[in-house]
Amino acid sequence: MDYKYIEQLLERYWEAATTAEEERILRAFFAQDILPAHLARYKELFAYQSEAAGEALGTEFDERVLARIGEPAAQPQIVVKAHRITLANRLRPLFRAAAAVAIVCLLGTAAQHSFDNENADGVPAASQQTYQAQQENLPEDAERAGFYKEAGPKTAAADSLRKQAAE
Amino acid sequence: MKEIDFRHDLLPLKDKIFRLALRITLRADEAEDITEETLVRAWEKRSELAQVNSLEAYCLTATRNLALDTIAKKEHQNLSLDEDAFDRPDASRTPQEELEHSEKLASVRQIINSLPEKQRTVVQLRDIEGLPYSEIAAVTGWTEEVVKVTLHRARKFIKLEYLKLEHHGL
Repeated sequence: MDYKYIEQLLERYWEAATTAEEERILRAFFAQDILPAHLARYKELFAYQSEAAGEALGTEFDERVLARIGEPAAQPQIVVKAHRITLANRLRPLFRAAAAVAIVCLLGTAAQHSFDNENADGVPAASQQTYQAQQENLPEDAERAGFYKEAGPKTAAADSLRKQAAE
Repeated sequence: MKEIDFRHDLLPLKDKIFRLALRITLRADEAEDITEETLVRAWEKRSELAQVNSLEAYCLTATRNLALDTIAKKEHQNLSLDEDAFDRPDASRTPQEELEHSEKLASVRQIINSLPEKQRTVVQLRDIEGLPYSEIAAVTGWTEEVVKVTLHRARKFIKLEYLKLEHHGL
């Protein structure tokens, strides 16, 4: 096995000409159990670097310094409940508003038709009110009647009716 | 500007700080005190430090300064032998080999500790902590060129002393 690469790295290492990555390669090489005789002599020199990098303070130190800065040793668990806000959730109020508008238009148009159909003798009670008043009452009526539902295409229906009424 | 969190930003630096303080003072008790002091002082200055480029470089600089102050004091002059941390058994070696291995490691440690402070510091920051030259320059206040020259001298000395031991039949 040719150790030329390692030997070259080693020469540059003494000259402080190696990169941090190359030094990592040297440490890894010398960490092997089996080394060629002429390189084995350097084993502990690099092994020491890895060992020394592992020296650490214990948890007693942590406790001491945390106490000194006034923090509790164990952090209380902060639980945050995440509520899912789906697209449907966000659009729901909009659907309801659209439904209300649709109902208003629908019933208002229907009342208008019935008003138009009656002749002067049998005037329907509903038509005694102005169209404006009818519009104001209708949303409550619609709610009581249970029209207030989650909607999909009500807007489209309202639009089409409005178009018909306009014709 | 993100606030500095003690547990998340400062506490994780404790081991690097300790190791540098130990390498300079050569005393574990002093090194621990210095580590605590450095972290607490950094914490007290956290609002200023939120803007600093590298919290690690700042802390290591402060550590070195504190350590240098410590070794300058008279009380430190009575040197105590630093403890040997290599008492971990290794099953891949025979007892004799293990003894030699431990002794060799201890020798390397002693050789490094016998270097002048500037060389000890650079060896610690580069060979053990693996820091880039730019950071070592920031911590020591030297240019990168000076850092490299210092490291070169240190490594040559370590190699020389270490091979001397070999020839004495260690």
